[in-house]
Amino acid sequence: MTQPTNEPSDALGLPPSIVSHDPADGAVTVTVDAVLYPLEALYGAAYIFIDRCFVLLDRPRDGVWSVSLSSKKGDATPEALRAMVGEFANELLAQAWRQKIIEENRAVLETVTTQALAGAMGPPTLDDLAAFDFTEEGFDDPLGIAMSWEEKQQKKSAKDPEPKP
Amino acid sequence: MTERRFHKAIYPTSAVDGAVAAFARFAALTVRDEGEHRVVAVATAKPERALRVARELANYALGLVREAEK
Repeated sequence: MTQPTNEPSDALGLPPSIVSHDPADGAVTVTVDAVLYPLEALYGAAYIFIDRCFVLLDRPRDGVWSVSLSSKKGDATPEALRAMVGEFANELLAQAWRQKIIEENRAVLETVTTQALAGAMGPPTLDDLAAFDFTEEGFDDPLGIAMSWEEKQQKKSAKDPEPKP
Repeated sequence: MTERRFHKAIYPTSAVDGAVAAFARFAALTVRDEGEHRVVAVATAKPERALRVARELANYALGLVREAEK
């Protein structure tokens, strides 16, 4: 949202810098900061509302999105409009957060997908195996987590030989 | 007559054209370019019907945008 102010608004009781109300049309227009909320988040939130609202997106100026919402049921009471704006703002925030998580995890997702696809391509050929470098040293395993049960038992018996009867 | 202004950065041409094609049988629709917007004018015999068609058309265009994204 853009620069919220605490000034009282019209009948909606929402900041006029963020929400404008057109009583004749029964619509509210929410102004959204494009830096905080990417277009994908705006699409996502708006799409969720098209089953109960008429939605129109716009860009009144650079760096600002506007979302016009009007109820399909024609419920244009201040309470209904205020609730609609609140729900939309919540949904927009959730969508923006989801987008951020997707962006942050993009590398992991791509890596996992690539590995899955590579695995689906089938086993390596003899040439692949011939070219594979097996000289890599094993990883450090001080707790013996990667050891087999037999190896562990051998090591244990070597350390603590059974007491003679 | 009612108009709906679709910003080109938000609504791709294909989405607006698709919506116009879908709603052409419900109203007389004319499309024109106006700067960064594509403006769809909706004309019907009854003004309230034009408003309804314009609103539904906008929702439909948004749906097409989302479909194209998937």
